[in-house]
Order: sequence, then structure tokens, then C-alpha cells
Amino acid sequence: MKAVILAAGEGLRCRPLTLTRSKVMLLVANKPILEHIIDALAQCGIVNIIMVVGYRKERIMDYFRDGINFGVNITYVEQKGQLGTAHALKQAFPYIEDEFIVLNGDNIIEAETISDLLENKSGDISILTVTREDIEGYGVVISDNNNVKQIVEKPKKDVSRMINTGIYIFNPDIFTAIESTMISEIGEYSIIDSIQQMIDEGKVVTMVKSQSTWIDAVHSWDLLNVNAYLLERCKQPIINGNVEAGAIIKGNVSIGANTIVRSGSYIIGPAIIGKNCEIGPNVVILPSTTIGNNCTIEPFNQINNSIINHDVRIGAFSYISNTLIGAHNSIGSHFITETGENLVIEMKGILHRAEKLGAVIGDGNEIKHRVLTEPGKMIATGCNIASGRNISKDIPEDALLI
Amino acid sequence: MCGIVGYIGNGDAIRILFESLKRLEYRGYDSAGLAVIDDEGNIGIFKKEGEISRLESVVPAIISRIGIGHTRWATHGKPTQQNAHPHSSGHISVVHNGIIENYQELKEELISEGYEFLSDTDTEVLAHLISKYYSNNLAAAVRQALGHVRGSYGIAILCDEIPDELVAARKDSPLIIGLGEQENFIASDIPAILKYTNRIIYVENEEIISVKQAGIQVTDLEGNPRIKEEHIIEWDMEAAEKAGYPHFMLKEIHEQTSSIHETMVGRLHELEGNVNFEELEMTQEQIQQLQRIEIIACGTSYNAGLLGKYLFEKLAGIHTDVDSGSEFRYSNPVLAPSTLVIGITQSGETADTLAALREAASYGCKTLAVTNVVGSSVSREASTTIYTRAGPEIGVAATKSFISQLVILYLLVIYFARSRSFMNANRARVLLSEMRKIPGHIDHILENKEKIHECASLFVDSQDYFFIGRNINYPIAMEGALKLKEISYIHAEGYAAGELKHGPLALISNDVPVVAIAPQGSTYDKILSNIKEVKARDASVIGIANQDDDEILKYIDIVLPIPRTDELLSPLLTTVVVQLLAYYTALERKCSIDKPRNLAKSVTVE
Repeated sequence: MKAVILAAGEGLRCRPLTLTRSKVMLLVANKPILEHIIDALAQCGIVNIIMVVGYRKERIMDYFRDGINFGVNITYVEQKGQLGTAHALKQAFPYIEDEFIVLNGDNIIEAETISDLLENKSGDISILTVTREDIEGYGVVISDNNNVKQIVEKPKKDVSRMINTGIYIFNPDIFTAIESTMISEIGEYSIIDSIQQMIDEGKVVTMVKSQSTWIDAVHSWDLLNVNAYLLERCKQPIINGNVEAGAIIKGNVSIGANTIVRSGSYIIGPAIIGKNCEIGPNVVILPSTTIGNNCTIEPFNQINNSIINHDVRIGAFSYISNTLIGAHNSIGSHFITETGENLVIEMKGILHRAEKLGAVIGDGNEIKHRVLTEPGKMIATGCNIASGRNISKDIPEDALLI
Repeated sequence: MCGIVGYIGNGDAIRILFESLKRLEYRGYDSAGLAVIDDEGNIGIFKKEGEISRLESVVPAIISRIGIGHTRWATHGKPTQQNAHPHSSGHISVVHNGIIENYQELKEELISEGYEFLSDTDTEVLAHLISKYYSNNLAAAVRQALGHVRGSYGIAILCDEIPDELVAARKDSPLIIGLGEQENFIASDIPAILKYTNRIIYVENEEIISVKQAGIQVTDLEGNPRIKEEHIIEWDMEAAEKAGYPHFMLKEIHEQTSSIHETMVGRLHELEGNVNFEELEMTQEQIQQLQRIEIIACGTSYNAGLLGKYLFEKLAGIHTDVDSGSEFRYSNPVLAPSTLVIGITQSGETADTLAALREAASYGCKTLAVTNVVGSSVSREASTTIYTRAGPEIGVAATKSFISQLVILYLLVIYFARSRSFMNANRARVLLSEMRKIPGHIDHILENKEKIHECASLFVDSQDYFFIGRNINYPIAMEGALKLKEISYIHAEGYAAGELKHGPLALISNDVPVVAIAPQGSTYDKILSNIKEVKARDASVIGIANQDDDEILKYIDIVLPIPRTDELLSPLLTTVVVQLLAYYTALERKCSIDKPRNLAKSVTVE
């Protein structure tokens, strides 16, 4: 069976992290979200993957290449213009001959999630569903004894708790339905409309309930919880790097090759540190922290429950907590992130809620010394921030703060 | 990264193994080997350093129906015949891709049991271990052996007592089985066998496969049988190798962010402000006593060498000359043993550079090779070799290998400058920490490459281009012109900006675009006045400048920005801009980008 992964969208609600890479390439447990999906597929023996790419496709292609290092074969197809899920799927048409599985590239799943669907599929279309208390923002499935009658997008009333995960098994008939799918009010061709059309034609559409992992990280800060969840589940810590005498490693900690953890450092797992990093001396890393490759963490830092992407440099005496930092950041000494709880964060005029958050920092910023970020504040990309600044509001792209 | 193949069937095993190995060559090679059993039941094991065709020339014409083969692409360590696979012990021969983590303890154990080791490889441990457990069931012996092994492996095993079975296994290294009609294949990568079959079985971690002519049998490490699903591969091989990119060149330009990391791995000691070059084998004293450096290279590598000249002289105070290989040899060179001769060649096979190094060695000079291909001819020719570790480069126009050469030169200069007390530790620390930021800066340029595309489109019909720069930017002007010539077939000249008025200014007119490499630095004011000179002749000026440089906007038509970095390191960024400019110009002119007319990737003729 082939798999089609829809990985063309940006993931607007994860800005500023997605200004430079799509959501599928954001790191959790030191792997892009998409890699967790590919691993799950490969474990289920699904190795022929058609990847629908669009926004920042080079990031995906540079990382996965032809797939061989991940045990799969990847064929890339490009969706030009973001015209909805049906339009995205249509791009894969030339490569599909029989039954195939479709997944979103930005949900965290495990192999069991896929095998649940594979083992229980039936009819012309099978839809994987999960039960959730809070259905806000999702599509729900209304069914009669597992036969799907209707999929309601973002229901106003409490009609069902069965959330549509966006993981489907289709046969090639779906492409006929896509051809006659009408454009929706918001100007997109939705795969939901294509499915509804097949239901209306009398095709058998079934749902398969799963209790396995399926996590939809909506906002960037949700990734902190996903990261913590995945780190807890990491089975075998691997220490390939060099831990100097006098450094203490406790619990489940992985350290990549060529990384050096200098004396006096104290690392408590679960945590992952990537390759080619210089940590310390005297750095404290506390649980649920992921640090990418080629990072330099200067002396006397404390980092807690945070995701730090590749090529980041953090100056001495910094305190980083509940924070997401993008790639290629250069941060001076005494950098402090304040944490707030039950924050209300405004993005493009819409209010979002964050349970607990320090800061969110995009790619490629140059932050000088003694900078403090107030709770829930965001720094976009390419900013230049002078010493001594208090970041009390969000900083837009390429800003110069002197 | 290595390639593994195996074959059993009615076909000519040697020919099929070679064909398959060659399909893996795009992933690189530095030594190769194979083991086959002939029709009379005799085993033949053949190994050779260098590319696969070299091995081919030493394998005799024997008829064989079963065998295993291996091609190696080492990024570290020496590719000698001794270390080449297969490795053997008793009846057993093994090819392996991966790393055995506990090989040292296993080795000691085996030595105490009387096993003799001929190579430095971890693979030989596997051969002995399997041999130790082998009585008559090969799969069982492999299973028992792997029970003791920690690490990653993709392996294929041949036993000279069993001419009708191969055994394979994997853990965390790629391995697949190809199914044919009365024949079966083992490979580390699908392209290897796609010519023969598209029916593939993916081997999972800790599975052992017995491969016979009639069929295969898969078991887990406990010996329980596993049912495997067959996959039909429909795959455009070339497209797969390009991983979604329209051309290898663009893919390789993008790979520069990661290949620079590879080049730097283990060589930077930021905290100490020093560089590590274990492979250099030069004492501090020898470095201090150097009177002169002579760099020999051709083509793109020459431009890298030219930057090396500026850097060695500026930072390490060593008089440095650069010559192209083809000129050096016929110029009656004046050389003394106090001169270090550095040969730079991506492929390690450039005939002119090789001959020049040989010539230099005859004067008693120490010779140093900088190359991308481990075990290439130049590494045997030179007294010392430094590898750029850029990974295999397919596009004829060198991109990532050039930038890796530059990185090596920077590191070498810092190393020499520190050893000669020309640079203090603090300055070195600043430079090294700035170097670690370079991949991020390149990433930023790639993010904004559309602007370069637009710029290229504007001048796509130009007949001539000028690239100008001063000092460390001059080599990049040369490289920009070379890239454009190579792939877009537009006549281009790289010029030291101050030299324009001594002649070429006569050629400047309003239909000649001039690319000025002008990041801020010691020669910035000078190049601004050169820009004014060409502007006065109505040329369109494209400036490659710092992104926060507002001054230059007054004088030029288009600015292609680069992130701010240490002045000395800006060539690592301006390079990427000129590469993309050449790429998009060629793209707009619909040229054959990866295989430009009349050119070859590795020039092995003089």
C-alpha cells in the first residue's frame, strides 16, 4: 500500500516558527513531526510514500532526500497554490493505482495508530477517528454503527465526539469524486466534500476508532507538551557524545555524536541533545528539553522544558524555561525568559490560550546581552535586538531594536 | 556510508554484482571488493582501493552464480586494500555497512580465543564471530553472533561450504531484498538492483534472511519465522536521486548548510580558540619554519586556492603563491624544502594537479592534498591528505565541494596562524564562533533565493558579464564568472576591481551587467569608487552586499544581500549568491545545468 502525506501547508498558528519552515518540519523530541509519521509508516511496512509538498518544500526535501535513510522511498509532488486538501491529494493521482492511505504531515501518531486503521478498514473509504471531549475547531463524524453518514466541520452544536483525524484509506474512486468536488465558501477544495459526495452516492464509508496516539499540536506552544510526552516514551537513551568527568547525567538522556558536555554540568532526563554541540561547563538542563545539532550552550545556563532547534548559541548565565527557540539563533549572555500561566495570546486579531509559556523565537535572530522576554512574547525571524531590552510585545520579522 | 550487494541465481554473478555496485557509485566510493564462489566450489575474494572500475580490472573471468560485493565511502579513516570488504574468517566472508559499537571488547575476547585480525575494521569482528558459531547452519550462526553485537549493521554473508545460500541481516542500516525469477538479490539501496527487479522486500531491524535461488526465508533474532510483504517499486531513479529538486546543482547548493557542518565536525575547538588537524602530521616547529606555501589547483579549486593565498598571507604571514596545475608543471618551478605545496582537487583525480604534486615532491617539499574523495589518487600522491567531507557531488559545476574547500582553508589558516603566533586565541575564538554561524547565514540566503532568480531573469539575454571584487572578494568574483561560463554559456570575466581601468573598462557599456562583490570591509570604499567608474559607463551594477548596508544602494541598481558576518568570512556567503545567480541564469536560458556541454566532472586527462 502506498501512503500520501499532505505536507504542503504552512501551519499559520505556529508562527513565527513556521515563517521559515512548515509545521511538519518543527522539532519534537529532536525529530521533525513528519519524521515521526514516516517512522510509524515504515514500521507498518508502508514504504512507498508520495509527499505532497508546497510551502518551504526545500526544507522537507533537504532533510528526507529520497527516503533511503528513513527506510522508505519518497516521491515528491508539488501543490502549487494552497487550494485545499482535495486539491493537494489530486497531485498524487499519477502515482496511485489501488487502495492507499492518506495522512496529514503535521499530526503526531505512532505505528499502532496506523495499524488500527489497516486492521479494521472496510468499505470504499475508511476514516480513522478518535474521541475527544473538546471538539472545538475539528470536524466530527456522525455515524450509524460505524457507517459514516456525515462529517460536520467545526460543529456549533454537540453532535458527536468522534473527531476526524484526517487519516483515511481511499481507493482510486476518490479521484473521480475530487474531479466533481465544488469549491467551498472559503475558496478551497476540501476532501471532506469529496467524501460527503461519495456518501451521498451510496458508497460505503466507515469509521475506525483508535485509542492510539494521535496528537494535533495546534499552536507552537502545544509542541512543548508533545515534546514532553514523546521524551517520556523514548525507550533507550543513547550517549554517543563525550561527557567530561564531573558532569552528571541522570535519567533518560540521549547525547549525539561529537557533542561535548563539559565538567560541572548537570542534566536530568528525559532530554535529548543533538550532534556536535558544546555544552558547558556548568550548564543545568532539566527535564523535557530538546536541544538540536551544532548548538553552543555557554557556561552557567539553566534550560528547562524547552525546544531548541539546530545551530543555536546561548550566552552564559541565561535562564530558559517553557520556551521554543528556532534554528540559527545567536543569543547573548543573561538572556531570561519569563514564564506565565493561562496566557491569552493574540495572533492576527484572534485570541488564543496558552496554559504555560515562556517565549517563542523564530529562526535567525541576533539577540545581544541581558535581554528579557515577558511571558508569551514572540520574536519573529531575522531580528536584531540590542542589549538590555525588555521584550514586552511581539517583535515582527527583520526588526531592529536598538 | 557503504553500499552492499549480493546475488544468487543463474546469471553471471560477477557482472551483476559490478552492475549493482556501480548503481551505488552516486553515493560515493573509495574502495570496493567482492567474494564469489565459482562453479567448482572455490571461493574468490577480490578487493581494491579506488573506484569500482579498478576492482573490475583485477577480477579474473570466472564463472560464478553466487557472491557478495561492497563499496565503501569513508568520511573518516583510511581506505586501504586491507580494510576493504569483504572480511573473512574460516569459511565465512562478510560485507558490512554500519558500526559495531562493542567491537573492541569482542575483538579482545576473540583474540584471547586465538582469532587473528588482519584489518582495523569493526567488520572483521563479525566475520570471526560468525565463523566461531558456524558448524553447518549459516543462518543459525549469524543469529548467534548477532546476539553478542551492539551497534548498527546491514550485512551480507557468504560461506564457501554452501554455494546455494546467502544470509543477510540488518539493524539501523538500510538493507533490502530483491526478488527475481530463479534469482534473488541483496542490496543496501534500491537503485542497485532496480535494473534486474522491482519486487522488493524491506528487511526490518533484527531480521535475518536466508536467501536461496528458489526463495527467501525470514526469521527474527530468536529464530521465529516472519512473514514478509513484497513491494513493487515504481520509481524514477534519477528523480529519486535528485530528491525533488529539478537539478543536482540546486540540490547541492542547498546541501551546503549541512555539508559545511560535516567539514567542520571535530575540527573546531571553540572554547580553546583552536583548530584540530590530527591528520596534518606537522609539528608546531615545522609550521613555524615554513617559508612559503605553493597552492596548486585547477578550475573551481584554483579559485579556492586564490582565497587561500590572501588568507595565508594576511593571517598567518606566510608568502603564498597559487598556480594552476597545468601551468606549474611546465614553468620550471623554483621550490625549496621549506615550501609547503598544497594540491586542491575535488575528485582527487585531476591529472594536472596530480602531476604537479609529484613534481613538487621531487624537490623535497612536503605535499598536502585537500580532496573530497577518500582514497583517491591524490591521497596516495601527497604526503598528507585532508578530506573536505562534502559528500558525493554529481553536478559538474562544483558548489558544495568548493565551499567545503574554503572552510578547510580557513581552518588551516587559523591553525597555522595560531601555531606561528600570528593570531591570538581570542581572535581565533571569535572567528570560530562566527564560522559556526555560517550555515545559518547560508540558510538565510537560500530562504531569499527568489530575489536572485528575479535578478538573473533580468539579464538573461546578456552576452557578457563582469564580476569584480577586491582582496578576498576577488576569488569569489573569479568563481562567479566561472560558474556562469560553465553552465549558462554566457561569456563572463572575473576581475580584480582595481584592474578594470587598466583595460577592460573599454568593454563596459549599458548592456553589460557588472556584479560587484562588495560586503563591508577594508576595501569597501575602494570598490565603491570602482562601482562609480562602471556606473559612469552606464553599466547595470548588481551588488552583493551586507543586508544592512544602506550606503551602497545609492550607487547600484540591484542589491543581493548577505547576512552580516566577520569580514574575513564573507566569501563563504557571497559564494552562495554567485552560485545561485549562475544557476538561475542557466535555468532561464534552458541550459543543461548538471551536464554542461564539453565539460566533465573529473578531468583525468592532462
